[in-house]
Amino acid sequence: MSARLRNILLWIVALAVLILIPFVVEDRYFMHIAVMAGIFTILTLSWNLLAGYTGQLNLGHAAFYGIGAYTSAILAMQTGLSPWLGLFAGGLVAAVFGLMLGFPALRLSGPYLAITTIGFAEILRLVAMNWVDLTRGSLGLSGVPLLTPIKIGDFTMQFYFERDYYYVVVAGVLFTLFCIRRLIGSEFGVTLQAMRDDEAGAQSIGINPSSYKLAVFTISAFFAGFAGGLFAHFARLVSPELLALHNTFDILTMAMIGGLGTIAGPILGAVSLTILSEALRSMEEVLKIDIRLIVYGLLLILTILFMREGLVGVIKNVWARVKGDR
Amino acid sequence: MDSLFLQQVLNGLITGSVYSLIAIGLTMIFGVMKISNFAQGDYSMVGAYTAVFVMAWVGGWLGWIGSVVAAAAVVGLLGVVTERLVFRPLMTRWTDIDMIMVSIGLFILLDNLAQLFFGATPRMIGDPFGGTTVNLGVASTSLLRLFCFFFAGVTIFCLELFLNRSRMGVAIRATSQNRFAAQLMGIDINQVYRITFGVGALLAGVGGVLYGTLFAIYPTMGALPTLKAFAVTILGGMGNIRGAIWGGLILGVAEALGGNYIAMEYKQAIGFFIIILVLLVKPSGLFGRKEGA
Repeated sequence: MSARLRNILLWIVALAVLILIPFVVEDRYFMHIAVMAGIFTILTLSWNLLAGYTGQLNLGHAAFYGIGAYTSAILAMQTGLSPWLGLFAGGLVAAVFGLMLGFPALRLSGPYLAITTIGFAEILRLVAMNWVDLTRGSLGLSGVPLLTPIKIGDFTMQFYFERDYYYVVVAGVLFTLFCIRRLIGSEFGVTLQAMRDDEAGAQSIGINPSSYKLAVFTISAFFAGFAGGLFAHFARLVSPELLALHNTFDILTMAMIGGLGTIAGPILGAVSLTILSEALRSMEEVLKIDIRLIVYGLLLILTILFMREGLVGVIKNVWARVKGDR
Repeated sequence: MDSLFLQQVLNGLITGSVYSLIAIGLTMIFGVMKISNFAQGDYSMVGAYTAVFVMAWVGGWLGWIGSVVAAAAVVGLLGVVTERLVFRPLMTRWTDIDMIMVSIGLFILLDNLAQLFFGATPRMIGDPFGGTTVNLGVASTSLLRLFCFFFAGVTIFCLELFLNRSRMGVAIRATSQNRFAAQLMGIDINQVYRITFGVGALLAGVGGVLYGTLFAIYPTMGALPTLKAFAVTILGGMGNIRGAIWGGLILGVAEALGGNYIAMEYKQAIGFFIIILVLLVKPSGLFGRKEGA
C-alpha cells in the first residue's frame, strides 16, 4: 500500500470514528465535554502556530478568544446577523486586534512579549467588565442565540443539543487543521521554521521576519476568535471571564503537554487534558478537593523538565522502539 | 496643590515601596540568572499567609514584626528549594519559552496548592496598632502603613549592604555582569544561583507580608504582585535594582493618582499602559543601561 493511500485511509477511519462517537455515547454531559475539547483544540492549535513555529510566547491568547465570542454574540443579538457569519466575523475582528497587537509586539521577544500580551488581555478584560452598555459588564451577555437551522431540501438540521454542536465543532477543528497544515507545509511554513531556528540566517537570504511574524500573529488570532464564536453560540453566555489569564494558561499547558511545534501535539494535549480534567472533577466528590489545576501545574513543570517533546515525543519514541524490535 | 493630591501621593508612595520590594527580587533573579519568574507573586502570597499564621499565634505589633522575619525565612527557603528542583535543571538547556513556561507551571501549582491548604476565604492582617493614625501635616496615614513603608526601606537598605559589602554579594554582582568571567575567577556559580534565588524569593516574601497588610490575602492573590513587579521591572530596566526602586514608587503614585483622577475601574491597568509605553519609547527602561551593557 502506498503511503498516500494509507494516509487517506487513516483519515477516513478517523473521520468515521468522529462521526460515530455520538451514536455510541449518547450521554449529553459527555457530548458537552467533547465540544469543549474541540474548542480548546482550535485554541491550542492556533496558539501553537505562533509559539511552536515562530518561538513567540503570546500570553494574551484568551483575549482573542473573548473578542471572537463577544463579536459574534453582539452581532447576533443587536444586528440579527446569522451566527454562522458571526463565527467568521468574530475571527476577523480578532484578527484585526491580532494585527494591532502584532505591530508593537514584533519588536519584542521573550519576557517582554509575554508581559505585553498579558497586559493587552488584561486591559481588554477590564474594558469588557466596564463597558456595561455594550457588554453588560461582569454579568456577561446571556441568551446568545443558537446557531440557526440549516435546510437541505426536506431535511432540516437543528442546532439545539450538545450532539449537534459536536458536529459543528468537529467541522471547525477540521477546518482549522486543514488551514494550519496547509500553512505549515507550504513555503511559508518552511520559512517560519527556518526563522525560528536561525533568524539571522533567514534574514541573510532575504527573508523579512517582521512581515512573517505579523502574518502568523494575525492568523493565530483569527482562529482563536473563531473558537470564541463557537463557544458563544454553544454556551449562550459570554462573560469577561473568557479573556482571563487562566484560560491562556490552560491553552499553553495543553500545547506543551501535547508537544510544542507539532500539529498532532496540540490536538492530543487539548483532548487528553480536557478528559483528564473531567476525570479529576468527578474524583472531587471522593477526595473532597479540586485537584484539577494542581495536576495541571505539576504536569506542565514535569513536561518541561522531563519530556520536552510532549506526548508526541513519547509516542514517537515508543513507536521507534516497537519498530526496532521487529 | 490641594491636600487630596498630596494624600494620594503619600498613599502611592507607601504602596509603591512594597511594589519596589517585590520587583527587586524579580529583577535580581532576572539580572543574574536571566529567568523571568512568573511565580514571583506567589512567593508574596506564601509570605502573606505566613503572616496570617504568625499573627494568629503571637498577635500585636510583636507578631507583625515576627511575621516579617518568619516570612523571610519560610519564603527564602521555598525559593532555594524551587530553584534547585525546578529552575536549576533547565539552566544548562536554557530557552526563553521553557523558563517562562516552567515558572507559569509553578505559578499554577502554588496558586492552587494554596487554595487547597488555606481555603478560598480572604483573610486580613489586623492592625496591631489599633488603627492609630499619624498626621504628617499635609496628609495623614495609619501608623501601620508608615511601618510598611519603613520596613520596605529597611529591607532594601539591608539588601544594598549585602550586595555591596559581603563576599557573596560581590559574587552575585559579578555574575550578573559577566557569568563566564565570574566562573573563571573561581566563583561557585551554583551557589550564586541558589543565594540569588533565595534572596529574590525572600524579598517577595517580606513584600507579601506588607502587601497583605495593605490589601486582602487570598490564595490567588499572587497574580497581581507578579504583574506589578513585571511592570516595575520593565519600567526600571530588567536586571536593574535602582531602577526597580524608582519604578515601584512611580507605579504606586501613578496608580493612586490615576485611580483617583482618571478612572478607578482601570486602576489595575495603569501598570500595563506604562509597560506598553516604556517598551515602545525606551525598551531598556527609564533607568536602563544601553543594550549589551
